[in-house]
Amino acid sequence: METRRNDGPYPPIRDLAAIGDGRTVAVVSLDGTVAWLPIPYVDSPTVFASLLDTRHGGRFALAPEDPFEARRRYIPETNVLETTFVTDGGRARITDALTLPTGGGLVPFRELARRVEGEKGAVRFRWSVEPRFGYGSDIGAMGRRSGIPVATGRDQAVAICSWDAGSPQLTPEAVTGAFETAEGSTALIALSIAHQEPLVLPPREDVERRLDETIASWQRWAAAREATGPWRDQILRSALALKLLVQAKSGAVAAASTTSLPEEIGGERNWDYRFSWLRDSAFVMGAMLELACKDEAEAFFWWLMHASQITHPRLQVLYRMDGGADAPERALSLHGYRGSRPVRVGNAAAKQAQLDIYGDVMQMAWLYGDAGHPIDREFGDRLAAVADLVCDIWSRPDAGIWEVRGPERHFTQSKMMCWVALNRAGRLASTAQIPSGNVERWRSEADAIRSFVEDRCWSEAKQSYTRSADAEDLDASVLLGARFGYGDPAGTRFSRTIDALRRELGRGTFLYRYLGDDDLRGQEGSFLCCSFWLAEVLGLAGRRAEAVDLLNELIAFENDIGLYAEEIDPSTSAFLGNFPQALTHLALISAATSLTEGAS
Amino acid sequence: MTIWGALAGGFVGTLVLTTMLRGASELRLTRIDLPFLLGTALTSDRKRAKALGYIAHFMFGFLFALGYFAIFWAIGRSGWLLGAALGLAHGAFAGTALVNVLLPLVHPRMGDTMSAADTVALLEPPGFLMLNYGRRTPVVMLLAHIAYGAIVGGFIAWS
Repeated sequence: METRRNDGPYPPIRDLAAIGDGRTVAVVSLDGTVAWLPIPYVDSPTVFASLLDTRHGGRFALAPEDPFEARRRYIPETNVLETTFVTDGGRARITDALTLPTGGGLVPFRELARRVEGEKGAVRFRWSVEPRFGYGSDIGAMGRRSGIPVATGRDQAVAICSWDAGSPQLTPEAVTGAFETAEGSTALIALSIAHQEPLVLPPREDVERRLDETIASWQRWAAAREATGPWRDQILRSALALKLLVQAKSGAVAAASTTSLPEEIGGERNWDYRFSWLRDSAFVMGAMLELACKDEAEAFFWWLMHASQITHPRLQVLYRMDGGADAPERALSLHGYRGSRPVRVGNAAAKQAQLDIYGDVMQMAWLYGDAGHPIDREFGDRLAAVADLVCDIWSRPDAGIWEVRGPERHFTQSKMMCWVALNRAGRLASTAQIPSGNVERWRSEADAIRSFVEDRCWSEAKQSYTRSADAEDLDASVLLGARFGYGDPAGTRFSRTIDALRRELGRGTFLYRYLGDDDLRGQEGSFLCCSFWLAEVLGLAGRRAEAVDLLNELIAFENDIGLYAEEIDPSTSAFLGNFPQALTHLALISAATSLTEGAS
Repeated sequence: MTIWGALAGGFVGTLVLTTMLRGASELRLTRIDLPFLLGTALTSDRKRAKALGYIAHFMFGFLFALGYFAIFWAIGRSGWLLGAALGLAHGAFAGTALVNVLLPLVHPRMGDTMSAADTVALLEPPGFLMLNYGRRTPVVMLLAHIAYGAIVGGFIAWS
């Protein structure tokens, strides 16, 4: 456990933690504030959003009145958070969970449970629940039901149930309370949340039971995962973080639980990541199969095949968690994290052309089929049609993996992943999982892609694959070409590319994804997944000692509970971007399992 | 005027009423969920409650349609306008007495002003005119019941 103080209005992203129930995710800061909670799903409008607007966003604050130090951990092998507060007067512990609907009985639609246990001496706590519905746009109305304070919005309501947590006081904007812990005392505050239905008002016994069963349920899930080796704890924590982002209802995996945590403080690089990106699909499937998440792998495959049916054979960069294809982007009138505006919901990247996703999806399908899961005839036909489409479109420019919003280009990584798409199509056809009628065409087009990349995407001056055709700037995403077998990681060109990327894009342990122009103002941090990709590719290239050192260095930069955001500022180690970030944790799992297997 | 007309009207009317209430929820006008309220009187399991609640709701739809038929038969007149008027009275009764007062008395899992969720989970009580479920709930309920009454009245008159 780590000890730190947090006094600012906006908590450092590094100080955030995530809890979830497979449907939504709450973000809790080290100072005991629940600063983010969308309802009913992770991609829904929020009840708490002080993370993006401390004045209008709404929050659930719970902390000692006196100056304190806080340290925290996840209860081992769970997504239940435990924060210990130490004051001059004593020590107390908060256990936070979004409870799972276990154990039968009438359960709330969603439930946030916060148990406060006195460990030593006396600690006086003050709490305040300030719900703001619809991203802070609706302050709602306060009232009571059967004596319990209730905040009601238009189609949502929050009951603030408390036991031994002081007498709740209602104001037009908040429900507040104060209480003092003693050694062995237990207070409980539970938010029962309703969406388009009447509230359920739970008794204390039910909340306590659900909280304990939620802990046991997470531990059962973690115990069934197959993680071994020197990085077992980090792999397991990443698996748990990933599971938080899996929508239990559909099987979709969100890229992160938040929107608009900035890639540059005060800048405009603020995006909504509460969608499922096909870019992540190969890593998602790889991680799920590696960790023996059979049910999740099947659900994800089916979700992706059904979601992409709408646009078939064209694939979209991202889909909504419910499988919908529309993700219209708009700006909210929120202050933004430390003034970083606009605060966006929706994502215009959905309509971009991005060729690398075809390689990701075909790789995902190949992993799925290769693991013994049958691909039925309809899906097989559709995957073959996707390969045919790749033959038609690989030579076009696109927006690339990083979704550049300026003019389209011939991005090298996009071409490499088109080669991967056709290669995997050939493999699937060779095992009769998809029709083989066009195998020759796939093979000849794959050869043409290789010629294009080798002729136009290699710089003799830089001794590296370049970011795009006929350019000289570099891009860390070409590492994925080595990761997914476009080329031999130990071969001359990729070995030299690795060195060039470290030389040009490296800042100590970290890699920027690129340094070239992307038609946005400002400068972002270094992209954490790229550094994990580098560690994995170093291992694949036979440079194991370098790979292990790099992986261990990267792990040293995780936050105190083992989570990562999207980016990191190389000079301050501050996290940047949305949190927790699936792609970073997927890259960690991939690198750590690859290096573990490489050692055996 | 036939009983079969009343039953057909009850089925279609309940269908329309349910759809209107569900649509109003999706439009963020109310949190009323009649099938959920009815189903949780029979079971505490959410999924089963919703399924049983829909069945119970349609059964009540048939029963009220038969009640409308009895009134029309007694006064010797029927029609969609008369049905709409009965629907208005029906909706007002539902909002003020039926769901607000009578349902909490017989519902084993519904709180009232005197109860507390000490030992079992309770449903939020609806309150006068079911205002606890949203300020627009009375309007939604009245409109849905007027539609129900008009449909039942029309079917009975045409049969």
